Amino acid sequence: MSAPSRDTLMAFADGQLDATAREQVEAFLGANPEAAAEVASWTRQADAIRTLFEPAGAEPVPARLHPRRMALAMTTRRNRLWRQALAATVLIGMGLGAGWLARSWVDAPAPSTILIADAVRAHDVFVAENRHAVEVAASEEDHLTSWLSNRLETPLVAPDLAGEGFTLVGGRLLPGAVAAGGRAAQLMYENGARDRVTIYVTAALPDREPAYQFTTLGDAEAFYWANARITCTVVGTLPGPQMQTVSQAVYRQLTGTGEKTSTRYPS
Amino acid sequence: MSDFLDEVEACVPALRRYARALTRNADLADDLVQDCLERAISRRRLFRPTGPVRAWLFTILLNLHRNGLRARHRHGEMLSLDAIAEPATAASQPGHIALAELARAIETLPLEQKEALLLIALEGLSYGEAAAIIGVPLGTLMSRLGRARAALRLLTGTPAEPHLRTVK
Repeated sequence: MSAPSRDTLMAFADGQLDATAREQVEAFLGANPEAAAEVASWTRQADAIRTLFEPAGAEPVPARLHPRRMALAMTTRRNRLWRQALAATVLIGMGLGAGWLARSWVDAPAPSTILIADAVRAHDVFVAENRHAVEVAASEEDHLTSWLSNRLETPLVAPDLAGEGFTLVGGRLLPGAVAAGGRAAQLMYENGARDRVTIYVTAALPDREPAYQFTTLGDAEAFYWANARITCTVVGTLPGPQMQTVSQAVYRQLTGTGEKTSTRYPS
Repeated sequence: MSDFLDEVEACVPALRRYARALTRNADLADDLVQDCLERAISRRRLFRPTGPVRAWLFTILLNLHRNGLRARHRHGEMLSLDAIAEPATAASQPGHIALAELARAIETLPLEQKEALLLIALEGLSYGEAAAIIGVPLGTLMSRLGRARAALRLLTGTPAEPHLRTVK
């Protein structure tokens, strides 16, 4: 027979040949002492390796290597993790819910801020108009004021600003902030230099608290106040002192407390 | 599922033995086996019940050992004292391999030869199974096995010694 390959000899030494092949190799080894010696050395190696390390497999298995115990511990650990994750999820959910409920306290700008912004925007839009600057002209002032008073559900008169050099152009009804009744009235005044001032009036805010605020938005200056009856924002692009004089006059006439104005008007 | 755990349990002694031979350190070996079992148990749903559990476990163990060695290489390898080779002393008897000497010789083998030799000689796995576990073709396994055995013969100072045997 031809000489078996080294792999076949190894397979013989490792006991991985079938009976027929084994007999053939045995016959070959019987006639080839050199090959037989090599095969014998492999067998001795394997025997020695088993002698070295087989005892490790016979040692009692420590508890930490018991699969059943490990599986139990891992399930317990996983369940604990799940519970913790669940608890965390619930907490996060509660936080989100509370935040959602509290959003109106946190996010919402102050009502006065909204009213002032509305007033300034309305001012910007309508003072730029010539033929349609107002909805009802000053020639129908009585109709204008009774109409706006009805719509705002609060008495409104157009202040007389002749002393400040301004005459009434007219007025219009506008949608307004919900908190202030949802409607707003805008009255427009103009002086000889065609400077325009608008007065933006709404019904009182729910808190009916007096408030005063000066704001500059873009080019426009706005003086806002509120009392138990109305909120009013005077908007214009006049120089500071002139703006103050006009605002003061409007305030005095609309609050009907002319004699106190000089002390209550914030300087 | 409990059958699976039973099968795993039956493999633990062999895994410990193989890990001990690979690492030459009892604690390290048991750590390796523990990692291997944890991984196997946590991933048992991924196990395809077509193959034997034993081969799957050995594959996991080997991968963990290789990854661990790579990590230790990065952090500077730690050698236990008995892993340091001493000058080989001649075998006391011809034809008898001194065990300590053989252990040191195995230590010097490249990992790919060591893992192959131990799967065959120590664990008695079939060539096909061992090749699948190591992840190489059968021919590659055989050549690693051949080189490992030749190296061990050289290192343990046991030549082919044909002259010591009487030819029948």
